[in-house]
Amino acid sequence: MAGSRLERFGTVFTRVRDLIRSGVIKPKEKPLWYDVYKTFPPKRAPLHVKPVTSPSAKKQETVPEIFYSEDKIRTGFYEQYGRGLRALDLSKSNFVSTCQRFVDKYRELKSHGMLDKSSLFEETGKALLKEGIILRRRGAPPVLAESRDPVLDLKLIDMLAEQQSAGTDTTKTTEDKNS
Amino acid sequence: MAVRALTRGLLGFRYSRAATVASPCGGHHYVTAPSAKPPQPQAGDVTEKILNQPLEKADFFRVAELFSLKDLFDARVHLGHKKGCRHRLMEPYLYGCRLDHDIINLDQTMEHLQLALNFTAHIAYRGGIILFVSRRRQFGHLVETTAKDCGEYAHTRYWQGGLLTNANIQYGPGVRLPDLIIFLSTLNNVFQQHVGIRDAAKMNIPTVGVVDSNCNPSLVTYPVPGNDDTPAAVELYCRLFKMTINRAKDRRKQMELIHGLSAPTSQIS
Repeated sequence: MAGSRLERFGTVFTRVRDLIRSGVIKPKEKPLWYDVYKTFPPKRAPLHVKPVTSPSAKKQETVPEIFYSEDKIRTGFYEQYGRGLRALDLSKSNFVSTCQRFVDKYRELKSHGMLDKSSLFEETGKALLKEGIILRRRGAPPVLAESRDPVLDLKLIDMLAEQQSAGTDTTKTTEDKNS
Repeated sequence: MAVRALTRGLLGFRYSRAATVASPCGGHHYVTAPSAKPPQPQAGDVTEKILNQPLEKADFFRVAELFSLKDLFDARVHLGHKKGCRHRLMEPYLYGCRLDHDIINLDQTMEHLQLALNFTAHIAYRGGIILFVSRRRQFGHLVETTAKDCGEYAHTRYWQGGLLTNANIQYGPGVRLPDLIIFLSTLNNVFQQHVGIRDAAKMNIPTVGVVDSNCNPSLVTYPVPGNDDTPAAVELYCRLFKMTINRAKDRRKQMELIHGLSAPTSQIS
């Protein structure tokens, strides 16, 4: 059967249509999909688009950034409380994370309208604590601070200095032994 | 598996120009002289009617009922790649960019998916050969089982250069090529566009393809912007295509039965 292998020129449909019109493809040899395409064409004709070679082409941002008004609250939460103690479970579609509860509580308190911005954060933290969600401040010492091993506080420089002084002592002793 | 091309001869149907029938549900076909006419022209007319009737309705196979926006969202179809991998031709299909993650516009995906499924259904109704292609090894088995379940074909292995363009020599003369190729992922394993898209355009075969935010949708006849990496999303697509093809084939059998049973006398469709 006749065909046209010019994929960069026109669409599949236009090529077949023109071949039928010119008589190269007989009407009874019409492809199966021709009538279906004619009745239900796609939203955009599948024309080949030449790739842009010059890098100096327009660099406009046509895809907008998605930001919500709650993002301000979220940044505040993450700055203060770090990553949050409870892990996010994305497999459940109705999962509410600690951050989201914070945001909801914040908006609830804001809608009551009694407090001003600076104390809203504190109040939300307190309200969540009341509900039983523990929030640990970022930069706060971990729970095992009291039982921290003193070895971990040693500095590397001190250790090296110790080792060097110990090394000179041992070399002296080995020299004594060998000789 | 390699393409099991059927060497069917030319179908016996006579295609005439798609006639627009005035009545919405198809005209009644009355035959006044039952025994005088030979059966073949009647069979031809009936077949024509069977073929043209679905084209009159916008959604003859009711594919829009098969999925909803929530289903697409739950299957994570809206998740694209990062901003750096974005293809400039996919920008119209993106809703936005959330912290450098591209989010695909699901309203557009709904429309495109409806068109694509509708087209697939019509092709399956007309007895077309459908080829599922995906070079993602993660979903190779899934795609093959999907194709098997609908009675169509799949090619999830290495695409040889002359598969479509050199088919007459590779598979013997008079090979029937697919009438529709469905790409579950339009990229190959080195993140370049799959050769099959260009080859299908060369051989005048329409394509349906799931295009992610790093794919080139220009040559795909019916692109469906959506995620092609998540298992949930790919399972959704496979399920939808399988259901549409089976639905279309069952409908065809139904129509043939309806028309076949009452062909010599007046029919009520």
